Amino acid sequence: MSAMKEVKPKSPEELVRERRERIEKAIELKEPDKVPLALFSSGDVLRKYVTGHELYFNYEKAREAAVKFVTNYQVDMFSPILGAEGFIFALAFAEYPDIAPAVRVWTGPMHDILKDKFAKWPGRELPEDSILQFIGGQFMDAKEYANLPEDPITFINEVILPRSCINLEKIGSPKANAALVKLGAEAARARNFLVNLAMDLARVGVPSLPLTYAYAPLDCIGDFLRTPTGILIDIRRHPDDVKRACEALVEPIIKVAFALKSAGAKYASIPLHLNEYLSPKLYNEFYWSTLKKIIVALYEQGIKSLVFFEGWHDAHLETILDLPKGWGIARFEKTDVRKAKRVLAGHTCIMGGVPSSLLLGATPSKISEYIKTLLKEMKLEGGFILANDVDIPKNVPPENLKALIEAVEKEGRY
Amino acid sequence: MSLDELIETFVNLEEERVLKIVKRLIEEGKDPSEIFEACRRAAEFIGEKFENGEYFLSELVYAGEIFNNIMKVVLPLIRREIKPAGTILLGTVQGDIHDIGKNIFKVFAEAAGFKVIDIGVDVPPEKFVEAVKAYNPDIVGMSGLLTIAYDAMKRTVESLKEAGLRDKVKVIIGGGRVNEDIKRYTGADEWADNAVIGVKKCKQMLGLGDKIT
Repeated sequence: MSAMKEVKPKSPEELVRERRERIEKAIELKEPDKVPLALFSSGDVLRKYVTGHELYFNYEKAREAAVKFVTNYQVDMFSPILGAEGFIFALAFAEYPDIAPAVRVWTGPMHDILKDKFAKWPGRELPEDSILQFIGGQFMDAKEYANLPEDPITFINEVILPRSCINLEKIGSPKANAALVKLGAEAARARNFLVNLAMDLARVGVPSLPLTYAYAPLDCIGDFLRTPTGILIDIRRHPDDVKRACEALVEPIIKVAFALKSAGAKYASIPLHLNEYLSPKLYNEFYWSTLKKIIVALYEQGIKSLVFFEGWHDAHLETILDLPKGWGIARFEKTDVRKAKRVLAGHTCIMGGVPSSLLLGATPSKISEYIKTLLKEMKLEGGFILANDVDIPKNVPPENLKALIEAVEKEGRY
Repeated sequence: MSLDELIETFVNLEEERVLKIVKRLIEEGKDPSEIFEACRRAAEFIGEKFENGEYFLSELVYAGEIFNNIMKVVLPLIRREIKPAGTILLGTVQGDIHDIGKNIFKVFAEAAGFKVIDIGVDVPPEKFVEAVKAYNPDIVGMSGLLTIAYDAMKRTVESLKEAGLRDKVKVIIGGGRVNEDIKRYTGADEWADNAVIGVKKCKQMLGLGDKIT
């Protein structure tokens, strides 16, 4: 029997450095010391500690909840999304790099100020302990496509915001002006909230990626102007209009993404929505052509992308090879990461692998077995970050999360 | 103009042409219930194309739009009552307000001959229970996209049990993020992560196989 060696616990600073390096190595397609484990949450699991309403409306409580979670579950990265998709607001202020990023994560108080219709919020349109739900809306008629391409930013400010935000209905009215002044003050608070949240997590040893934000042009139109169903019909009835609108959004989206470059952002988070809806032909024609331009433009300026390929992305995996090697991270939801690796190994860092249904429904031993089998294949030659698919259910048994972390500790070493 | 042309243009999603054909067929005195049947067959072919990977969700969404537009013209003209293959009570579970999946499923279930009673989104368990008592459906379809839907589905199944209704209905859960694990967790009989499979499983649960066309 070997003598027990006393191990001095690592300081949070050491842990942050070690974990950040682990993640960065994987992104650089190298082998770190261990497969990094990242967890993402849109808030469901944080309702273990606070109500859904508090999570989005009370910055202090939201920070506390996130810290409690990572204190209990020490992972290499934890990414809580504590606001709604606010990319339309970021686009509205695309010419102002000091404002655009501050309204990208749309928080509860911002919703109260503009009374926007894009999402429904706990304690407002939804019960107190629900979670935030983005629904988008139709704020542009199909006939109006022609008015967008010439100057999309002005179009969003003058046409879309008045229709989508009750308090901006009449541009220039005292009510609208007051709302914008209040929004400015709130945006500063929200910006501080995100910075403080990252610092809080670092204090317990968990790093955050220095993120900026971009969006796929077709999703932008689907989510904020026409609804997802609407845009899918538009690409049949008005294909040329849709293409022109997508092209016109490329530059403003890049501007928004660059807004945080001077603040040190190294990765652009791009959540995709309509990718799994489209056949390869439509995907290439209406979606990928413009999204690719954005990812490449960012990469050329030193910003890698963290693209969340929502749903099944199997039919479009090969298109990722169009991007330059090492362009960023492909995070998958339902696509089997093993299948992705067979296509993308040595070219793209792959992220994913843990279904939320497994965390919720399986036993700890089943989770250990699952991770063991998965990592045997996925850890080879690096370039892989293990992550959950989309959110962590509130009622996930704590022993299952612990089993996940222990399994990575045991099976993830290189 | 023939019903075969109608089916072909519908399956190819030629919206303008298919609507013209429907109008011509009606003008020529074609029995509207035969037009309805043809549309059902077309929807089934579209489902097959989805299953074999030729069509994607966007084609299902567009096909749903075309189907609804044809039905606006055809349904008011149908005099005789069409006996449904079964009744499905459909809703998005409590806490979840997403309805894209539910709406696609609804169209394809109707096209397959089911009567669908849509009770909307964010439906609490007790409302499912009330509706089961009121409509006596064969199947309860619970839809949900978010992870919070898992527990709401489970609670709904439990409420059906407590009300003594669980054995009277088949329960199917649907949504992009459900699977076998979630089926077991919620206590449902079946699951589907797309509308086409969902309709197929509904038929199977009622012992209808692929007999309905």
